[in-house]
Amino acid sequence: MKIAYKHLIKHLPQKPSIDDLSDKLFQLGHEHEIQNDIYDIEFTPNRGDCLSVNGILRDINVFYDVHLNQDKYQDNLKKLDINFVNECKDDCTNVAFLKIEIEDHIKEYKDDLEDYFDIFDAKKINFFTDISNYLAYETGQPTHCYDFSTLGKSIHLKEINHDVEFETLIDKKIHLSGDNLVFFSDSELINLAGVVGGVYNSCSDRTRSVLVECAYFNPEKIIGKSLKYNIKSDAAYKFERGVDPKCHEQVLRRFINLVELHSTIKSVQYFSKQYKNFTNITVPYDLNIINKIIGLEITDTKYQEFLKKLGFDIHENEIIVPSYRSDISSQNDLAEEIARCIGYDLIPVKPIKINNKHRVENPHKSIEFKIKQLLIDYGFNEVINFPFSSNSSKKSIEIDNPIDSNKSFLRLDILNSLVENLIFNERRQQDSIKLFEISDIYNFKNNTVGKSRKIGIIASGTIGKNYRDFSKKIDKNYLSLILNDYIDDIDSKITKVSRQKLDTKIKSDIFAIEIELNDFNKSILERHSTLQIPSTDYQFEKVSDFPKIFRDLSFSINSYENIESLQKLIFEFKSKYLKDVFIFDFFENSREEKIKIGFRFVFQSHEKTLTDGDVNDLISGIIQSSIKMEGVEIPGLEI
Amino acid sequence: MSSNKDIKIPDLHKDIGSYHPINNMKDSIMDLLTKHGFEIVEGPEVETEKYNFDMLNIKKSHPARQMHDTFYLRNKENLLRTHTSPVQIRGMLEKKPPLAFISGGKVYRKDDDATHLPMFHQIEGMYIDQDVNFSNLKDIIYKIIFDLFGKEVKLRFRPSYFPFTEPSAEVDILSKDGEWLEVLGCGIVNPVVLENCDLDSNVYSGLAFGLGIERIAMLKHGVNDIRDFYKSNLDFLSQLK
Repeated sequence: MKIAYKHLIKHLPQKPSIDDLSDKLFQLGHEHEIQNDIYDIEFTPNRGDCLSVNGILRDINVFYDVHLNQDKYQDNLKKLDINFVNECKDDCTNVAFLKIEIEDHIKEYKDDLEDYFDIFDAKKINFFTDISNYLAYETGQPTHCYDFSTLGKSIHLKEINHDVEFETLIDKKIHLSGDNLVFFSDSELINLAGVVGGVYNSCSDRTRSVLVECAYFNPEKIIGKSLKYNIKSDAAYKFERGVDPKCHEQVLRRFINLVELHSTIKSVQYFSKQYKNFTNITVPYDLNIINKIIGLEITDTKYQEFLKKLGFDIHENEIIVPSYRSDISSQNDLAEEIARCIGYDLIPVKPIKINNKHRVENPHKSIEFKIKQLLIDYGFNEVINFPFSSNSSKKSIEIDNPIDSNKSFLRLDILNSLVENLIFNERRQQDSIKLFEISDIYNFKNNTVGKSRKIGIIASGTIGKNYRDFSKKIDKNYLSLILNDYIDDIDSKITKVSRQKLDTKIKSDIFAIEIELNDFNKSILERHSTLQIPSTDYQFEKVSDFPKIFRDLSFSINSYENIESLQKLIFEFKSKYLKDVFIFDFFENSREEKIKIGFRFVFQSHEKTLTDGDVNDLISGIIQSSIKMEGVEIPGLEI
Repeated sequence: MSSNKDIKIPDLHKDIGSYHPINNMKDSIMDLLTKHGFEIVEGPEVETEKYNFDMLNIKKSHPARQMHDTFYLRNKENLLRTHTSPVQIRGMLEKKPPLAFISGGKVYRKDDDATHLPMFHQIEGMYIDQDVNFSNLKDIIYKIIFDLFGKEVKLRFRPSYFPFTEPSAEVDILSKDGEWLEVLGCGIVNPVVLENCDLDSNVYSGLAFGLGIERIAMLKHGVNDIRDFYKSNLDFLSQLK
């Protein structure tokens, strides 16, 4: 919520700077940003009472002596004779109506009203609605204005549970469905309570007689409505978080005052009804508990000073919670109030030693971690996939409200996700793809939700990118050799994945296995790995989405001594486009006394799709430098 | 041809794979927490409203319980847990204090945009004993933050709101750019939660904390887009050796 610094400071005699006030707001838990002298505050959902200028002032009163400078209508209010029927007394415990009739002439907006529209560059709608909007900002209490001349003889508040079209005052027709709390004027639906009013009874610049509704609605009846009907409603936002159930008369007296400032009032009448007696919450006065919760030794004097400044009353051994603080009901709630006033950062640290009699296991010694180590040792990469799937069977668990209607089930296997990952990486020109995932898999059978911890492994392409493995293709035997020592009857568990239904032109065989983690035997716990646990401080490089270009260079060398110099030359070659280089071929032809060594270069740009021309320039630089070396040649090279 | 073959043939670089950065971060944080005495507990991702919300003092009207925030399953019979806290509820129901739990794993919220994903990872910790207070909580949090970000890091505590803790706080660290970055939430376990788990809140009190692993991983690995963790792109994943 946006609150102008100017609107707070006018009530604070000490006139703190915008930054000083900002610090205090942070201390109280009101996280915010500042732009153009306006605080954009993200209030926690339990602090509905703070969603206004007055709400913030009540909170910062603990640091500053707030002098509230808001005039209210002081005269007696004449009774409004209104035929109002409340059929939902539990959901609307308090309601007040104010009828004001004014002379024709409305002066230009002034003082607080004009200042509000000016500072927020807000759109003016009409006189009464503008006052209503301003008052919600100032007091936190939403009000709704009806053009009195459009209303029938009676007003009903009721809950409907049938479908109906409703044309709102924000030029949007909505289809009400399910249970909705609504106001009717005679038989006409005029307001979706606490959310948005109807277009036919809304005020306009011609309105001279207004009926202002000011109510307390049960937050549970309002919650989710604005989202359901896709309506941005400040009123709903406030009602959802809870408004002050005892503020109505004061808010409407302020309404009259603002009208009076801008027009001549011909008549004003007021109706109010409380359907349930409101009793302030009380909490026993017990400073020992407060000090025990926080870990401090504050004095009674200080405790009482904080409470009083926050609007709490203390009577004998009871603390009386103000009506607007629906979030306070326990000693822990009060402890938080005191901790906020002191400042969390000023509460001292008291060392504690965890006293745990239960066995503590190191996550890096678990069987699951050992399985990961085995696979990573062999070049497999761990992936994590979302569990949402389009595939279903009788055992599938259906999601009531999926993000994507095509993926409305929890997956029953890992393999389908891994196949998608494999195809994705093939399209990104990976020639050796070895992946695994460990995940819980859920199903529903025999009226029970079942869970199993599974591992899926998939592999395709070349075994690796060194000269021993590059020419070898992954086959069933490759997977079998890795896993044979730890899984019984491994060969029967490895499957070949058909490419028939996969959208790919690549032909390499795909092999996969999906088993329960329990299928690994415990001997894996004894397996030794030299693999280091990666640093959590590693800085990832951004990945390019542009295609890679590969170039292979095969050299013929007549002496082992020259291999090292050639490798040095190649591996030290620098270019912003060179992503990777490795030896993919190494062969000694003893008959010809020649060594053949092949390097693969991988080029990729972060800014563009590289052309052959870009890469050729780089490659010819490497060629020129390398063939100058004695005993090194590139067979078939035409210069 | 020279015979100095053994030392001259090129290194056969072994192709090792990679831990997923999120699991690597999770295991590392769990590891450091176990060193402080916390015990790892595990629980299901498919939960019920009772354990995910009711027992944690999250009222029926709380926005988190709406269909737009939580994935419900089987006509609301189950849900995908929205946090790892229900694991701790199950732990408290099983064992008696003193209790020092940590639980980590996948959690789900109905979000899908550039900064939020429908699935992410959390680690939560809880310590229940006699006379555990907010000053003690600060001690634990300082230890965790220093372990993660180094002893030089500057941090601040801000009041916040979680239905299962009271008082509640969020903790920010000061980045090198001078920006405060939120890293974890914590608080004193709400006595209502203790009572829900049949623990006498007049005898026992507790501290709790929770952190989003993706958030920490993004900060520590310099990753700007949370979606990078879940594209299964080997160009990205294979960097972590």
